[in-house]
Amino acid sequence: MGEVLRVENLHKSFGPNHVLKGIDLTVEKGQAVVLIGASGSGKSTLLRCVNFMEIPSDGRVWLNGEAVGRERNGKTEYREHSLIPIRTHVGMVFQHFNLFPHMTARQNVMEGPRTVLRLTRATCVKRAEKYLAKVGLSDKFDAYPAHLSGGQQQRVAIARALAMEPQLMLFDEVTSALDPELVGEVLRTLKDLASEGMTMVVVTHELGFAYSVADKVVFLHEGRIHEQGTPDEILVRPSQTRTRDFLRGHATFRLPEAQF
Amino acid sequence: MGYEWDFAVVLRDSDLLLLGLVNTLKVTILALVFGVPLGLGAALLRLSSNRLVRGLVGFLIEFFRSTPPIVQLFWFFFALPLLTGIEISPFGASVLTFSIQSSAFFAEVFRGGIVSIERGQWDAAKAIGMTRNQTLARIILPQAVTRMIPAFLERVIELMKTTTLVATVSYADLLYQANNIAQSTFRPLEVYTVAAVMYFAVLFPTSLGVRRLERHLARSGATTAH
Repeated sequence: MGEVLRVENLHKSFGPNHVLKGIDLTVEKGQAVVLIGASGSGKSTLLRCVNFMEIPSDGRVWLNGEAVGRERNGKTEYREHSLIPIRTHVGMVFQHFNLFPHMTARQNVMEGPRTVLRLTRATCVKRAEKYLAKVGLSDKFDAYPAHLSGGQQQRVAIARALAMEPQLMLFDEVTSALDPELVGEVLRTLKDLASEGMTMVVVTHELGFAYSVADKVVFLHEGRIHEQGTPDEILVRPSQTRTRDFLRGHATFRLPEAQF
Repeated sequence: MGYEWDFAVVLRDSDLLLLGLVNTLKVTILALVFGVPLGLGAALLRLSSNRLVRGLVGFLIEFFRSTPPIVQLFWFFFALPLLTGIEISPFGASVLTFSIQSSAFFAEVFRGGIVSIERGQWDAAKAIGMTRNQTLARIILPQAVTRMIPAFLERVIELMKTTTLVATVSYADLLYQANNIAQSTFRPLEVYTVAAVMYFAVLFPTSLGVRRLERHLARSGATTAH
């Protein structure tokens, strides 16, 4: 079991707004880590700092044992061109899918392998079809996003990230924009990925999913990790009041094992 | 007293008017050929992360949008040769002026199209490792251009109408030819009527086309579902 991701003392501010206040987190190969917390607690910002969509204000990130950025005069420097390989190794899926509307499902999935990895066209087509099939969309290769349901669009977005064959996948509230009846198909896709050993960090409000899939649940509160542990420790027997308050707020969350 | 319409004189000189129309189209098309890429370049510079570049290009765009085109034309035709010592033909001055003038407007059309694309598109492209330029070329511009088409064609129509100013520096466009024929035949009513009809014959179908295209784009949902 190698360490895929290590985050040390990560800080992020937007102007005067100090969003992350020193996060330490490690993710082992094959682990599914679920981040929970109220909105504004910094979950999404933490994800976006991991693939450097946002540049951390302080602290350090290691991917596969390699520190990202260069140390210089006590400050860490991040050069845009050095971040590109990082992003190709870390897949990200968004709340609002963000599919490219002028491209078919297949073209969406091919785009990264073709433009960024510069693989041959034939390889990209094969890859795109492989990953679309994997998310259960073999019959939608030529469909444009506008003609797909929200759940299907999100699965195309997952295939698009997987086609880069990343070592780590980040899921940022990927079911929050979906109609309730479409949430299941996307969560099932995530669950399959987890059981195949994909390393992933998932921000979600689906606590039932967290309970059944996570190897580790991390509760964020006001930019800090307030409590972390197994799903059982955090979701069933939280030691902190704030965690309990947060869980009580999720009235719809009922554990099947409510008896203990 | 009734006016005796006599289009015979105009018909006699119809080849001159047609030549004028061709010259008008020549200036318009060349101004587009140079103005559109120049406008795209200006739009990209205006969206640059460098504040100085952004400010300078922004100022130039505003300058050309906020000065009368006829002043710009006179400047390029009369003043520029004084500065550079290079004589410029009426045709050269016309193409130069309208390329630059229209590029300022096209820059704003491009910029508007680019910024209308949701942030999520940039995010998604960045997340799979695309550079800013790759994202612009493959994700943002293809979508922006579709949204820009109506505004773009609107500008093309404006441009062709504004090119009538080139008659003032003796470039033989449609209006210039009409002026000449009107003066030599003493038939301004017929001549200008025919000239107006000629402009209309080109511009009205274009404008109809724009409206149809607009409806079509609106119907097809022109891009983004999210």
